[in-house]
Amino acid sequence: MKKILCVAKREFMATVTTKAFIIGILITPLMLGIVVTILPRMMNRTPPKVVGEIAVVDPTGQVIEGFRAYLQPERFVERSNEISRDASDKMPEAVKSVVAKSAGGQAEMQRQIAAALGDAPQLTVLGLEPGADLEQAKSPLKNSTTNKSNEPERLALVIVHTDAVQRAQGKDRFGSYDLFVRSKLDDRIESDIRDGLREAIVDARVRGSGMSRDEIEALTTVDQPRSRTVTAEGERATNQVFNIMLPAAFMFLLFVSSLTSSQSLLTTTVEEKSSRVVEVLLSAVSPLELMAGKIIGQIAVGFVMLALYAGLGILALYSFAMLGLLDPVLIVFLLIFFLIASVTVAALMAAIGSAVNEIREAQGLITPVMMVLILPMMLWMPISREPNSALAQTLSYVPGVGNFVMLLRMASNSPPPAWQVALSIVACAAGAVAAVWAASKVFRIGVLMYGKPPTFGTLIRWIRMS
Amino acid sequence: MADAIVLKSLTKTFGKTVAVRNLDLVVPEGALYGVIGPNGAGKTTTIRMILSILFADSGELTVLGKRSALDAKDRIGYLPEERGLYKKMRVDEFLAYMAHLKGVYDPGLKRRVRDFLDRVELGNVEMKKCEELSKGMQQKVQFVAAIIHQPDLLILDEPFAGLDPVNQRLLRDLVVEEHKRGATILFSTHVMVHAEQLCDHVVMIHKGEKVLDETFAGIRAQFDPRSILFEPMDPLADVSALESVNGVLSLRREGSVWDIALEERADPAAIIRAIAVAVAPARIELRRPTLEDVFIAIVDGTSTVAGDERTRLRASLRESSHAMEVRR
Repeated sequence: MKKILCVAKREFMATVTTKAFIIGILITPLMLGIVVTILPRMMNRTPPKVVGEIAVVDPTGQVIEGFRAYLQPERFVERSNEISRDASDKMPEAVKSVVAKSAGGQAEMQRQIAAALGDAPQLTVLGLEPGADLEQAKSPLKNSTTNKSNEPERLALVIVHTDAVQRAQGKDRFGSYDLFVRSKLDDRIESDIRDGLREAIVDARVRGSGMSRDEIEALTTVDQPRSRTVTAEGERATNQVFNIMLPAAFMFLLFVSSLTSSQSLLTTTVEEKSSRVVEVLLSAVSPLELMAGKIIGQIAVGFVMLALYAGLGILALYSFAMLGLLDPVLIVFLLIFFLIASVTVAALMAAIGSAVNEIREAQGLITPVMMVLILPMMLWMPISREPNSALAQTLSYVPGVGNFVMLLRMASNSPPPAWQVALSIVACAAGAVAAVWAASKVFRIGVLMYGKPPTFGTLIRWIRMS
Repeated sequence: MADAIVLKSLTKTFGKTVAVRNLDLVVPEGALYGVIGPNGAGKTTTIRMILSILFADSGELTVLGKRSALDAKDRIGYLPEERGLYKKMRVDEFLAYMAHLKGVYDPGLKRRVRDFLDRVELGNVEMKKCEELSKGMQQKVQFVAAIIHQPDLLILDEPFAGLDPVNQRLLRDLVVEEHKRGATILFSTHVMVHAEQLCDHVVMIHKGEKVLDETFAGIRAQFDPRSILFEPMDPLADVSALESVNGVLSLRREGSVWDIALEERADPAAIIRAIAVAVAPARIELRRPTLEDVFIAIVDGTSTVAGDERTRLRASLRESSHAMEVRR
């Protein structure tokens, strides 16, 4: 045992002290940070700062003013703020307070509005006579976007139908409008033009029918209050994002920690074999001791990753006063499944690493293993939505993937019964033992075998030979 | 005296290839044995079986009184033919790691590492990474890793391969030191000169089978060529008179040297004296059998070896001029 721990210690130190590991361990939180902060900005729906004119032929004479008002820069800013307010309403209280603090309060808000006004599209609405030559009105749309003159560029031409506000005789439906745009017009500007026309036409129709728009909106709007989750510990506001993300977060933690350490095990095994140091080691320890030491060392590496990421997650929940949403029992099961998954994957990687001469040769053998392992990641959504479906239940007992699937189910809204959890643990643990047994057979032969890289068939023959 | 290694009818096959066939071997404790044979003879496979790195298909073995080397690993030192180090590891860390794996945990380990490195003239490299060392230096570090736990049995597989003459001599001295300390030493080589320099007992393996297991004295007696090498002071001297010396069988010229074959019961000492009187010698000596000659003679005797194959065998068994330099 002393020798196994000695090998494990070297394996652990040789992995965690490398630059690759330190960079690798930082890259995941960094990527998450990028996803959370930069991605929403990249998907910004705020229209770009565009200067131009929109020509409108409005034979009804009732649409153009409403349309013009809709496209005022102040209204763009107003709408943008409304979107932010909606997003803010969905945020947990703790997050809201952090955001408010970081933004610097009301003064900062004003400053942002002023800045937003400068960045809002400057669109002029030009009314054309109903009898205007349409071809002539369209021709500025054909010009290049680089307009040298001081006149604003024509971005679009709108022709409002004569029956857009009042139905034509004998027709059930109202008329609409025709829209002509220049090529490469930003889709967000076109979307605002459409929204503006819709608003202006609906407004005109409501006015024409003698009703009040505000009254209609009041009659047709029902507020959606946030639900409250009732538990034995009391009530709390339901956090839908948390409910969806929690199972995925647990599975991700399990996946990253068990797979990263196993990848390191593969690399170190191949290195030991290709540098021929393995024979020196085998003069001091048995192949089984060597493999066991390496697996324990790499499980320790995986545990460091798991502890670090899980710790960061718990810290984040604690900071946002959301720690109460997390069931501590899940953490215990995370550790149990981590242990089983790590042993299984590490044993497979040790076997593959011992069988090949260089990393490149390992790809062919790793691919099928990886395909199986990423299956739960691919089925994350259907399993979390239907955690007790036949698919989810069946996969829970398949060694190799059962750990991930069961954890996903346990963290979902409909956790499985205890007997299923127990059965999954037993099945996966049996799988882990079988993986170690098979890997030890392959390791013993493969580690001293050089030359042509083996196929899966060869590995099975080695297991039989041993 | 107990036996350090006992092999009984050991056989190992790889697929259809028989690497070792019915090998019997007894190495007494404290002996210095050489296992010789050309490349691919089965030496490394035999060593790996002794160390329980490979397992025999049939046969029995005992190592340091145990049924498997796995039970005595801490008492065995091993320098494999295919050598390797952890490239990114520091030399002192590597040696400490190997010492730990061999069960050495004493607090003076650091000092021991330093002392051993000093012994192989590598006192200044302990803090360097292994990848920063030259190939020769790496081999010496590996040798230190094999003896750092002061093993009772030291197994060296082609220990001199790749070393320059100076380092070959250094390593040879270290091997002798370990032997004097009391370690049993078994080393393999395909270079006969190395075995001649070090061993007191030789085991020859050819095509997986043992063809010789004998002490040097026994080999000399058994394979005595019964001939004298003679080089006259005057290269143009008439040596035909030597044919009439009592006990001389024939004369054969080999460049500037004459090979004088002796009769079966002739006294070499008396004949050397008679030759020296008849023709002034620049050099005169009794021809000794080399292991290379012995090996070829055995292979010739046990199987039909064609001329080309004999040439290849000789090339495989012969060392480069470096070793000859060391020998002198």
